[in-house]
Amino acid sequence: MAKTGFCDSKPLLDLHKKADERRAPLRTWSNACGPIERWQPVEVDESRMAPVKMEPEHRWERRLSAQTSEGILMGFHEDSFTHSAADGCVEEEEEPVLLYPHGLQGLPSLQALVPSLLRHEVETALEKLDLIWDRAYAWDMFLDMARTQTRNSFPTADLPRHFTDLTRSVLVDWLIQVHELMHFQEETLYLAIHLVNRSLRAIKITTVNLQLLGMVCLFLAAKMEECLLPEVSGLCFLMDHTYTKHQLLRMERKVLLGLKFDLSYCPPLHFLLLLASVARCSAKAVWMARYLLELSLLEGQCVLFLPVQLAGAALCVSRQVLQEPSTPGGEAAWCLASSVHVGSETALLRIMHILANAAAKAHTRETCASFIKFSSPETMQVSRHAGLKNAPGLLGVCT
Amino acid sequence: MAHVTGVQYEPVAEIGGGAYGTVYKARDLESGQFVALKSVRVQTDQNGLPVSTVREVALLKRLEQFDHPNVVRLMDVCATQRSDQETKVTLVFEHVDQDLKTYLEKAPAPGLSPGRIQDLMRQLLCGVSFLHSNRVLHRDLKPENILVTSQGQVKLADFGLARIYSCHMALTPVVVTLWYRPPEVLLQSSYATPVDIWSTGCIFAEMFRRKPLFCGESEVDQLGKLFEVIGLPPEDEWPTDVTLSRKHFPPLLPRPITDFVPEINEQGAQLLLKMLTFDPLKRISALNALEHPYFQDEETLT
Repeated sequence: MAKTGFCDSKPLLDLHKKADERRAPLRTWSNACGPIERWQPVEVDESRMAPVKMEPEHRWERRLSAQTSEGILMGFHEDSFTHSAADGCVEEEEEPVLLYPHGLQGLPSLQALVPSLLRHEVETALEKLDLIWDRAYAWDMFLDMARTQTRNSFPTADLPRHFTDLTRSVLVDWLIQVHELMHFQEETLYLAIHLVNRSLRAIKITTVNLQLLGMVCLFLAAKMEECLLPEVSGLCFLMDHTYTKHQLLRMERKVLLGLKFDLSYCPPLHFLLLLASVARCSAKAVWMARYLLELSLLEGQCVLFLPVQLAGAALCVSRQVLQEPSTPGGEAAWCLASSVHVGSETALLRIMHILANAAAKAHTRETCASFIKFSSPETMQVSRHAGLKNAPGLLGVCT
Repeated sequence: MAHVTGVQYEPVAEIGGGAYGTVYKARDLESGQFVALKSVRVQTDQNGLPVSTVREVALLKRLEQFDHPNVVRLMDVCATQRSDQETKVTLVFEHVDQDLKTYLEKAPAPGLSPGRIQDLMRQLLCGVSFLHSNRVLHRDLKPENILVTSQGQVKLADFGLARIYSCHMALTPVVVTLWYRPPEVLLQSSYATPVDIWSTGCIFAEMFRRKPLFCGESEVDQLGKLFEVIGLPPEDEWPTDVTLSRKHFPPLLPRPITDFVPEINEQGAQLLLKMLTFDPLKRISALNALEHPYFQDEETLT
């Protein structure tokens, strides 16, 4: 996957010019739960309209989005996007904003502008990340991501009694090493760990078979994501021939049936790259966030959160640690990106604390595969950044 | 945990055989409902279940999560090992008694009302648009695998040939049933989502005609038949990566589509032509087709 292009500092239309005045309204918008004033009547009207009047392809989407109560996209109403698909609309709506750059007068217009701007930015980012093949469907795809991810978190962090968080993190750490050895894509790692998390809850696994389960999950993830597959015999070799090929294939079938062949997953990595692209984050900030996000795989508590929240928190910590000089354009871009991930402020802070603590201790832990991986020059040696040791302090937490 | 197929589902009748295996109508002994069982025998080697099967079934499961009204429900997936070399994967779908072919045949004398056709088309395009937005090509759209429930709900079925769309994937040349095949497939050029739109266009015409629009007997004959209607495309639209030459065909001019589909209204005819466009890049997308004035026109409902 191309890793370039997330950090270009292209100005965000004209929004950054008056970043200071705009910051407050953007934050307000992003945190507002209810429909935006100006759109309210539209919202009410449309929900009561006969289906014939509505654009047919949105019928089922609306119904589904109502079920997504997490508020991933705060104040986000698909209705308000139906008119603003074209880029041209962004330009058309720019004018009123520039007419009222100060105070609250500009608020409704700005609020009206943000959704279409965000949509434009998200579509561009998805295109840049090569996650879509037809821009016409980019927004649908993003809404799908937002919906799908709600299935990807767990109601509790509890594991079956005979497994502790430590056992799990040792397994994850080992899988990170195997994954690196195989030169797999990053998505494969996130999917593999997700499958481990689900399998541990869905099927009975003995302690003896834990490593086998981990390997099978990585193998299945590779079948979903990779072009080149390893040989099963090679996988057995990596496990010191503790298990036979036959056992591995039997476990594969057991996992597939246990998970009912449902292997789809929306990795937090995609949200991270998407947000970073919208926020015009620097290359270093993206590497740092990727490191922090990978550390989240080792933390048992992190299964409670949505992928988009994990990604958002990783980027927040990354920015706090790196303390890069801010530019008005960068701030505006960050605010726009924040309007996507700011779900629950409490959840965000909790994840940030978990990640900051994990990063501060990473070098002293036995499970340090990620620390080593991200200390290489290719990853800009982010894991060795001095600021990480004080990361919890930066967030105002003493440990 | 998935049940062993023999236990939970009792086969009632064979529905048909496809390239991938036989389809059975069966009764779910737990709920008493009828289901459609589609079994695929998968050859397993030392690497376990093939990648294509894992991805395809996972994709079906993913689509299922969206609960789209115009896509047939996948209720269960079972896998049983038959031998070291073979695993049987059974997909359990909801059973719908009637397909569009039967529905059209059963329609009384003057055929379907314009309003009914508009509604069916809207649902059909919703389903196709949903698949396309999820990177899925149906590639085998025809009246036989478009199901119509007794409430008149359209459901796309038979994703046996659906694949996660990827530009780098080697696409097999023979996929869409001849009559609904778009020119780019007949010419063995590269193809993507517009294939499904061409097929949908053919089906649109068939809803009025109650018989297929182009009934070719071979690839070349099929191309000839469709040029008789849409005319021979200009030289610059002819794909460069194909062996069959444009000179092979007589220089035909397009004929009014209403000669072939006389009952269609003006907006409908416009939309149909946009779907039956030779150049796949110029062919309308499902998303845009749904926004076509044809669907805004409520007079057809009366």
